[in-house]
Amino acid sequence: MSAVVSPMTSAISPANPLYRSRKRVNVFMLGVSGLALVFGLCWLLWILGTLFYEGGHALARAALYFEMTPPPGADGGLANAIAGSAVLIAVATLLGTPVGILTGTYLAEFGKRGWIAPATRFINDVLLSAPSIVIGLFVYSVYVVRVKHFSGWAGALALALVVIPVVVRTSDDMLRLVPNSLREAAAALGCPAWKMILSVTYPAARTGIVTGVLLAVARISGETAPLLFTALNNQFWSLDLNQPTANLPTVIFQFAMSPYKDWHRLAWGGAALITLTVLALNILARSLFRRKD
Amino acid sequence: MEAYEPVARPVVQVIRPSARSETPPVEELKPKIRVRNLDFYYGAFRALHDISLDIPEKKVTAFIGPSGCGKSTLLRTLNRLYSLYPDQRAEGEVVLDGENILTTKQDVSLIRAKVGMVFQKPTPFPMSIFDNIAFGVRLFERLSRREMEERVEWALTRAALWAEVRRKLHQSGNSLSGGQQQRLCIARCIAIRPEVLLLDEPCSALDPISTARIEELIHELKSEYTVVIVTHNMQQAARVSDYTAYMYLGELIEYGPTDTVFIKPKRKETEDYITGRFG
Repeated sequence: MSAVVSPMTSAISPANPLYRSRKRVNVFMLGVSGLALVFGLCWLLWILGTLFYEGGHALARAALYFEMTPPPGADGGLANAIAGSAVLIAVATLLGTPVGILTGTYLAEFGKRGWIAPATRFINDVLLSAPSIVIGLFVYSVYVVRVKHFSGWAGALALALVVIPVVVRTSDDMLRLVPNSLREAAAALGCPAWKMILSVTYPAARTGIVTGVLLAVARISGETAPLLFTALNNQFWSLDLNQPTANLPTVIFQFAMSPYKDWHRLAWGGAALITLTVLALNILARSLFRRKD
Repeated sequence: MEAYEPVARPVVQVIRPSARSETPPVEELKPKIRVRNLDFYYGAFRALHDISLDIPEKKVTAFIGPSGCGKSTLLRTLNRLYSLYPDQRAEGEVVLDGENILTTKQDVSLIRAKVGMVFQKPTPFPMSIFDNIAFGVRLFERLSRREMEERVEWALTRAALWAEVRRKLHQSGNSLSGGQQQRLCIARCIAIRPEVLLLDEPCSALDPISTARIEELIHELKSEYTVVIVTHNMQQAARVSDYTAYMYLGELIEYGPTDTVFIKPKRKETEDYITGRFG
């Protein structure tokens, strides 16, 4: 034995060929992943750069926030679209969040036995990755066609259907991250399940659930497809959700497709505004998470 | 059971020289919990085999045995904690104050309130120190603010934590050290004034000083509560308990007064385990 493993010919040395080839592979892989990073970031920065280069002027003008969408050739802003988007997003979040959180709660806390929870989780994942235009068409056929006109409610409904699967998924995941030992500790005090969920697991998962809602809001602020068939658009100031409702994504779509220069500028401004809002929401969601750690 | 002469010098004589010499046999005491022919299953796996034992009132009973022997499982049947999980079930009898808690119609919350439990890892709730304790009390009692403050102080004092936290009752329970968190959990448990206290390796995550504090606490609590403790630490079992049950592979091998089990065990397996010549 001592002939094979002699302390004089120790394998642990910089000259070891295994060690050297591992070092080479390491350098190579680091280089490849660095290039991939640069490639990905490059497009992202290009998009952001173009957006603020083209939309920056519009963003800086106060008229963008206070004047209505203009007819071609006239001066104007996006006030009605901004307000409409805000209302649609607020209503959709208010509709979708409770449904989402309650479903997530069922999946994580009560779905231990039987097939209902795994089936729901699967269907929810399908819904999560469904193209949003499908959701728009769905609301169009079951709601808009029945009432025979486009409306803000239909838009909010379509957006709520986008919110629900996102919130279900994050609430379910975040609640399942809460250690069972906390649930056992609450149960061992004689605490009924509903009280345990309200006072122990919700607070423990709070930041995660709030983050999920914020991400859902960020997701729907840019959704265009579900709104094309539902809320459509409105040139005028209107907060009546029974009427077609102006909103940023559709206005951007319409203005960007037009031949008019000033409409193009407004479309760029709107696009930059949505991006900034989503960026702000993401930063907020991240900082919420960070504070927990 | 064949007669067996122990050879090794028992641990107890070294660490507990003044051990009370006469602890009466279990049968002579009033049992708080009677376990009869208890089998326990995790799905298809049978974790407990025909366990029968009496846990005497206002005494400390220790369950010892190697990992996976079923001591924690047995503990978790005593407050029906296992019934949180659909694939776990128990058969047989666990009689608490004359009622079989495995089959009773009584709400399981009431049983669990009567049988408090402290876990291996500290489990403070994500709320303030004060609310951690008030939480359990509020489930069953409507107290005025003043009464609640008194109750919280009483529980924290009993758990030897009051002096350390009296000035920061409104800080998060998670801000405490591990040993303090564990005493907080004990305080939370005794605040609702249970009759039985189940301790599942309460000191395994703690340093020797916190461990000593909790052991002192167990000694004090004995006058009012029936205490059952699961431990890996045989010296701890010898120090704190009046009765000891040795379990192996889901079976109860030996059960009796701690001094007898440690000094003059009836079974060779028990002696092998407590003298460290196991396996």
